[in-house]
Amino acid sequence: MIKTKAAYLNLFGVTEEILERLVAEGISRGGDYSDLFFENTSFINLLLRDGEVASGGRHVDYGVGIRVLKGDKTGYAYSETTELSDMLSAARAASAIAEGSASSFPYEGCRARKYFPGEPNPAADRYPLLSESTEGLVRFMKAIEKGIFACEQRTVKVMVSLSFEKDDVLLYNSCRELKYDTRPMATVAITAIFAQDGKMENNTFSRSRRMGTEMFSDALIEEAIAGTVRGLDERFDAKRPKGGKMSVVMGAGASGILLHEAMGHAFEADFARKGQSIFTGRLGQKVCPSGITIVDDGTLKGNRGSLNFDDEGVPGQRTCMVEDGVLTSFLHDRISARHFGVAPTGNGRRESFRHIPIPRMRSTYMESGDADPKSLVAEVKKGIFVDTFSNGQVKIGEGDFTFYVKSGFLIEDGRLTAPIKDVNIIGNGPETLSEIVGVGNDLIIDEGAWTCGKEQLAPVTCGIPTVLIKSLTVGGE
Amino acid sequence: MITPEEIRLAEETLAFALASGADSVRITLNKSLQDLVAMRDGALDKVTHSLDRSLQLTLFADGRFGSFSINRLEKKALEEFTLDALATLRLLAPDPLRSLPAPERTAKDAVTGLEAGLFDPAYADMDASARLDLARRSTIWARKASLEDGFTIISEEEEYSDSISDSLLIDSNGTRCRHTDTSFEISCEVTVQDPSGARFSGFWWDSRPFLKDLALEDCALTAARRAAAAIGPVRCDGGLMSIVVETGTAAKLVAPILNALGGFAIQQKNSFLDGSLGKKIFGDNVTIFDKPRSIGRNGSKFFDSEGVATAETPVIENGVVKEYFLSTWIAAKLGMSPTIEDCTRACVAPTGGCRDCDEILRSVGEGILVTGFNGGNYNSSTGEYSYGIEGFLFKDGRKVHPVREMLITGDLVTLWNNLTHAGSDARPCSTKSIPTLAFRNVNISG
Repeated sequence: MIKTKAAYLNLFGVTEEILERLVAEGISRGGDYSDLFFENTSFINLLLRDGEVASGGRHVDYGVGIRVLKGDKTGYAYSETTELSDMLSAARAASAIAEGSASSFPYEGCRARKYFPGEPNPAADRYPLLSESTEGLVRFMKAIEKGIFACEQRTVKVMVSLSFEKDDVLLYNSCRELKYDTRPMATVAITAIFAQDGKMENNTFSRSRRMGTEMFSDALIEEAIAGTVRGLDERFDAKRPKGGKMSVVMGAGASGILLHEAMGHAFEADFARKGQSIFTGRLGQKVCPSGITIVDDGTLKGNRGSLNFDDEGVPGQRTCMVEDGVLTSFLHDRISARHFGVAPTGNGRRESFRHIPIPRMRSTYMESGDADPKSLVAEVKKGIFVDTFSNGQVKIGEGDFTFYVKSGFLIEDGRLTAPIKDVNIIGNGPETLSEIVGVGNDLIIDEGAWTCGKEQLAPVTCGIPTVLIKSLTVGGE
Repeated sequence: MITPEEIRLAEETLAFALASGADSVRITLNKSLQDLVAMRDGALDKVTHSLDRSLQLTLFADGRFGSFSINRLEKKALEEFTLDALATLRLLAPDPLRSLPAPERTAKDAVTGLEAGLFDPAYADMDASARLDLARRSTIWARKASLEDGFTIISEEEEYSDSISDSLLIDSNGTRCRHTDTSFEISCEVTVQDPSGARFSGFWWDSRPFLKDLALEDCALTAARRAAAAIGPVRCDGGLMSIVVETGTAAKLVAPILNALGGFAIQQKNSFLDGSLGKKIFGDNVTIFDKPRSIGRNGSKFFDSEGVATAETPVIENGVVKEYFLSTWIAAKLGMSPTIEDCTRACVAPTGGCRDCDEILRSVGEGILVTGFNGGNYNSSTGEYSYGIEGFLFKDGRKVHPVREMLITGDLVTLWNNLTHAGSDARPCSTKSIPTLAFRNVNISG
């Protein structure tokens, strides 16, 4: 739900003249570019624990970040008030980056417009906000808890956490681009503890979308119950596999964490600009087998990673990073785009007005291939199938990545056999890309509450069709 | 740093909440100021200036409890927010076990904020040019050619920062605690390239409450040496081996133990150490203390987020679990006596007779020296873990070559029962005092 320009100016207590004065102050000491990021975040959270929603809270965060760029260099300061004197003081602090620097060439805000012409706000409204009502939220949470206890007798404890966030933002820059938006985020996360024969196990489930509290629907109650108890028998029976190098079939959906860790971060252009990424200098080269296309997308309606425009005011867009096996684009913010002489890709994101925007992923996924997913399992003589994950990490320079598998199965002679759990998998990004030997026709984008932790927190999603990788190192006994 | 006017605002908000229907109230006012100067490849890359204020409002009304926060510290905004917060409480179910801590449990000796000895008066002398000078002194870019030996330094990033943090806690029982600290930090990441084009990165940092103690000049050099040492990694065969985990990295293996002793996990039956209090779970050589009142040491604090006074306490002593971390509420839910909300400053006691990493390597003889973790996680219910590791194969007490793509897998109770050494070399820059640790019979996949 995008309100009127006047509503945003009024919310932050500023006028267009004040905005102009602040960016002028920002570049007054020789800066090439200055931008302002006003933000008002309101956040409500509720927690069901031991059968009652007996704790919760409401939080307000308000302020403005002021950035000045001189070439690739950044000056940044913020103010938690929008009193003119405080904002001018922050602008002066940020402007110091330009002092004593040689002259540079200016940022072209309009460069983005050449590719995405239009009015200040893009026509797309990717996250309509239909409801902000808190009525029914407690009932929703209790229904999930009751449903889990009803369908799974081994349930010991259920914790349901629910939050709804509304983020009003207003951006202005020295290219005289004015943008404003309201970004919602509804999230529910469930942790349940189960007991069987004296053993304890836990399962988790989450859903997060850019939408209003209408997300907390009866349909989601059913989905959440099913998702929380899914695979419980296997989890109690699961063993660690024998560790070592083996074939890995990544199930469709959450296995997209592979793309996020193994490739996505190395495609973020700040690492390439500094020469740190293992993919530095490989634009236009073949980085994985033909037929593989990897996308970072900010345009999926209601998706947790989607944006009408990024935190630098660049329109949200779909960026093809790998097309038919060839590296076609890095993920750019304004600094890296200017550095490489290309258009920004709408990946300049920040955690809040307290943070500098940097290149970040949005929704990262691999396009479907043409293999039958079952045939990919059938090809493996000895390996594992994995489909539930918790976290991952990557070393940018080396390209070594890991991700943690919560559950899966052994594959023996082309069939899923014994369940497995709690193993870490480690590999090298470029090597793993080259060892993808089959891509299924079943792309799923996972809508869990994925949060990327590169310097700052950012909501993202990931997705992938079923994929067969010839060899990865799997932890085990 | 918190001004008298801001303190008055906090007190007025507390009074307003009580007058508006709250039965009891806690307010925590946090304020921090940080300046950062970043260098890249020997040149200035980034300067930031950050001033943060927030007011956390914890309300107890009609048997209900809620926690709220706002950073708009103006009287009108705070009053409106307080009324909204009280309205939000009506969404919640009553919880008769929620209350402020008993007044006799709260800290009485954190009055000025300076009692923990973590405030450096030299902070007042810092200005933009002093910060820039410190950042410039830390870089090695100008002399990188003299360091390059079979590799090229392709990127060097440093961040120097200093900050002051001030926190005031007041509640309607009359509790009043304050904590003030300064921090000076340097961190550096160096990326090198070998002749084949492969890249390797090394990271190092230091952080001290007092500027005079900051190891500024060593930081980039250490990062470069760590990057260069990682060149030429080899995949190793797996199996049961000893691992030595260097200080600064070893905290990753301590955190799951402390989390499992947290009241939140215990009460939710989501802890592999549930039911362990008073029992011998680990070997005789495992002792972990909470030492929150070590004056002048990073991480020390005299009170927790409820205002409860911290105290030096054994958490695990000779393998016996001595402490659960229980807030007022969690303790009431469990029918136990409250302790402290969390472990403030964990310290692992030395064992095995070696002081530092080199001595431990010589004593252990052969295994993997772990210098960093690459991802991984553990199951909070069962204690099963699997972590990616990086480091070196060592034989006869000496490093042989770096290793790559290796994992350790097992369960945390068994791991800690296989502790053979804990040094006395914990880095003072950390908020926890975790020395180099060594474990035998660890399952390694490569």
